[in-house]
Amino acid sequence: MGKVKNRIRRLRFDQDEMTQDELANKAGCTRQTIIALEQGKYVPSIELAFRIARAFNIPLEEVFQYEDSQGGVK
Amino acid sequence: MAPLQKRAFYGLIFSIAWVIAMVAVFILKGGANAFDEDQSFRLIMDSIWVGGLIVYLALFYTILRKSKLVDERDKLIYDRSPRAQWLAVIFALVAWIIGLSEGFRGQGVPTVYLYLMFFTILSVSSIAGSIGILVGYWRMNRNG
Repeated sequence: MGKVKNRIRRLRFDQDEMTQDELANKAGCTRQTIIALEQGKYVPSIELAFRIARAFNIPLEEVFQYEDSQGGVK
Repeated sequence: MAPLQKRAFYGLIFSIAWVIAMVAVFILKGGANAFDEDQSFRLIMDSIWVGGLIVYLALFYTILRKSKLVDERDKLIYDRSPRAQWLAVIFALVAWIIGLSEGFRGQGVPTVYLYLMFFTILSVSSIAGSIGILVGYWRMNRNG
């Protein structure tokens, strides 16, 4: 089974060191969910994934990547 | 700690205190025999369980309506918690049915036992509901 990875932590720092709280407010979720996402312990719904990408002003696939069982990133 | 996680923790403490209060009042007021004869005793017990149930439900429903405090991850954990409740209720029912059918075989079951059975199921359900949420957070933080 594949795994969904994300670059949220990197993107936050690239965008003026945006705090987890700020991102949570922009994406409409709680700070605990941002923490879980950054630690790879939660895979968001499609809707939340889009909201997070929109908070960074970048396309969805630049935030989230799907890594299949063979290790290929899509 | 997530806001819903905090509420579940408070819910667990409240449920345990609620059970202790019910058991204490029941014993101090005279137990099963007095319960059948004393209407004021029954009213006190009724007000404790109805009041406790309202407080318990209010603890969760007030926070579930606040979208800034509860998001999809919290709701996922909350929606999974009835699994723990269901298991706990089934085990409590099995224990009661075996106990009552063995204790009163061939006789009628006194009304007070139906009341106690209902209260046990209610309290087991509320304790297991809070534990289900806390375990849900623990598992999500551990395994993802």
